[in-house]
Amino acid sequence: MSVFFYGSAIIAILATLMVITRTNIVHALLYFIVSLLAIAVIFYTLGAPFAAALEVIVYAGAIMVMFLFVVMMLNLGQVTQDQEKAWLVPSIWIGPSIMAVPLLIEVLYAINLQQEQMAHTVIGAKEVGASLFGPYVLAVELASMLLLAGLVGAFHLARK
Amino acid sequence: MFSFQVGSLLNIALILGTVLGAAALLIWVERRLLGFFNDRLGPNRVGPFGILQSVADVIKLITKEDWIPPFADKLPFVVAPIILPIVMLLSFAMIPFAPGVGIIDMNIGLLFVMAMAGLAAYSAMLGGLASNNKFALLGGLRAAGQMISYEVFLGISLLGVVILSDSFSLRGIVEAQSDGWYVFPQFIGFMVFMVAALAESHRWPFDLPEGEAEIISGFNTEYSGMKFGLFFVGEYIGMLFMACLIPVLFFGGWHAPFGLEFGNEIISGLFWMAAKTSVFIGFFVLVRAALARPRYDQLMSYGWLVMLPLSLLNLLITGAIVLMQGS
Amino acid sequence: MNIDLFPLILYGGIVIAAIIGLLVASYLLGQKRTDHASQDVYESGVLPVGSPNIKISVPFYLTAILFIIFDLEAVFLFAWAISIREAGWVGFIEVFIFIAILVAGLIYLWRSGALEWRTTRQMDDRQSIKGEGGVVNIKRLGDKTSETPVKGSH
Repeated sequence: MSVFFYGSAIIAILATLMVITRTNIVHALLYFIVSLLAIAVIFYTLGAPFAAALEVIVYAGAIMVMFLFVVMMLNLGQVTQDQEKAWLVPSIWIGPSIMAVPLLIEVLYAINLQQEQMAHTVIGAKEVGASLFGPYVLAVELASMLLLAGLVGAFHLARK
Repeated sequence: MFSFQVGSLLNIALILGTVLGAAALLIWVERRLLGFFNDRLGPNRVGPFGILQSVADVIKLITKEDWIPPFADKLPFVVAPIILPIVMLLSFAMIPFAPGVGIIDMNIGLLFVMAMAGLAAYSAMLGGLASNNKFALLGGLRAAGQMISYEVFLGISLLGVVILSDSFSLRGIVEAQSDGWYVFPQFIGFMVFMVAALAESHRWPFDLPEGEAEIISGFNTEYSGMKFGLFFVGEYIGMLFMACLIPVLFFGGWHAPFGLEFGNEIISGLFWMAAKTSVFIGFFVLVRAALARPRYDQLMSYGWLVMLPLSLLNLLITGAIVLMQGS
Repeated sequence: MNIDLFPLILYGGIVIAAIIGLLVASYLLGQKRTDHASQDVYESGVLPVGSPNIKISVPFYLTAILFIIFDLEAVFLFAWAISIREAGWVGFIEVFIFIAILVAGLIYLWRSGALEWRTTRQMDDRQSIKGEGGVVNIKRLGDKTSETPVKGSH
């Protein structure tokens, strides 16, 4: 299974790099979808099939669809591409990238500190549901409030 | 390797061959049936009764020019038609055709199917967007609005079945129906799912994304040759998939009605599965012949204001009854 | 891992190879020619008018937001449906409140007209009259002209 893990991890990283460097937003979205699918495979190999399915249903199947939907509605064509090209000059991305390098090193160091084997217990949908509607029932309640706020807020923003 | 069990090589080859063959046959069946309903002949020239029509169509499509319009966005233009047939064929991996016949049995089978249905929306959206044609864009927008609206309660309408069978595995769902089909306790869920399935595969009467009277051919206006063929085949594979999924979820899958089993349980199972699938294919074609296309605003309000509350209500009632029986 | 994914991967590989193979076959076998109208946008034989970059009104994106919100709701419901026997009545009450809150949101949007996809023209046209043979003739509100359309007008 570690072949799948590393394979999809590499695909995810490459696809995400392509997302950042594409100037055409539709191409970037396509690579983003590939990246999300690769992450779903990673979840599955780590023993979280429910999370893997939700990753595809919610992120690849809903949020990316919404992005694409908005891209279709605004339909700006060449204008945004030229804008992106103007933004993607080295003087803009080089500073944040240099600052991000120490963070990456820290993350790698932290992962290396933890020499435990990856957990190989499979958490199925039933366990997730039982804990969501058991000890974390209040969190679900709050989530519903958050969703309601999102619904009403989006409506009023769209109406302006 | 050649033992007859779920996931064996023989199984994969047979299922893929059968599905592709059945999809090709389905195109001919639909055209013949529509001809019959419309009191005309339908395709009857190629082979006996025109049964080889799809073979002729494939040969024609392959030898047509592989045309990418110069104004189209090439990468999404090529990717869009590939997505639909792949996603629909991958969904077939979860279908249990008979005891021991199937490609894989995953404990998240139903969620996998839902995920694939969600990804199928990209095909029409990307195709419409990449074509750089305003009619294609309108078709893509219509497809997106329709599919995302109906996807919500496509999922929720199935949850009644999940509650009753206590499983996301499609094989588990079929096995749980050995003592009674779910269509009876889940009739509302079944009706909602039927409508959502028609809308998701944008079959008639929900073919607004391709409404040829208004927007030429919708999202596939600029497509020709094999790329158009892939959209077309993808739609038929999707229809075949829905016709297989409905018996699995609501009509007992391979279980024979009234104890009419015969011979080997695999042969009997395959026979009943095929028979039930055929009934729903006939139903889909009949719906196409009989019903008119709704207006777009009718489609959307119907989805959000009727079907969504209905599926939520069905879910709550099912849950309450199951809990009452349990305690 | 709980199950062997090999059949799915094999099947998926064959499927993807077959579909891409079809496209490659048509690329290799297909005819290649260019006519003087091949490069044009197809608009049913009429020369294309205007730019393809048409703008759609932004409130239409509310559909996408609605979809996201209710898809997330569906995800919580997935988790509940599979664990209903473990969660028991506490879970049921929670789900009931959960659904009630979101349905309240839906009703609010419906009453404030966000779930209205009719165009203003269609809303004006709501007054319809029955014609001969059960045909429904649409008559615009405040339309003073006779029911037969004037020749040449749309």
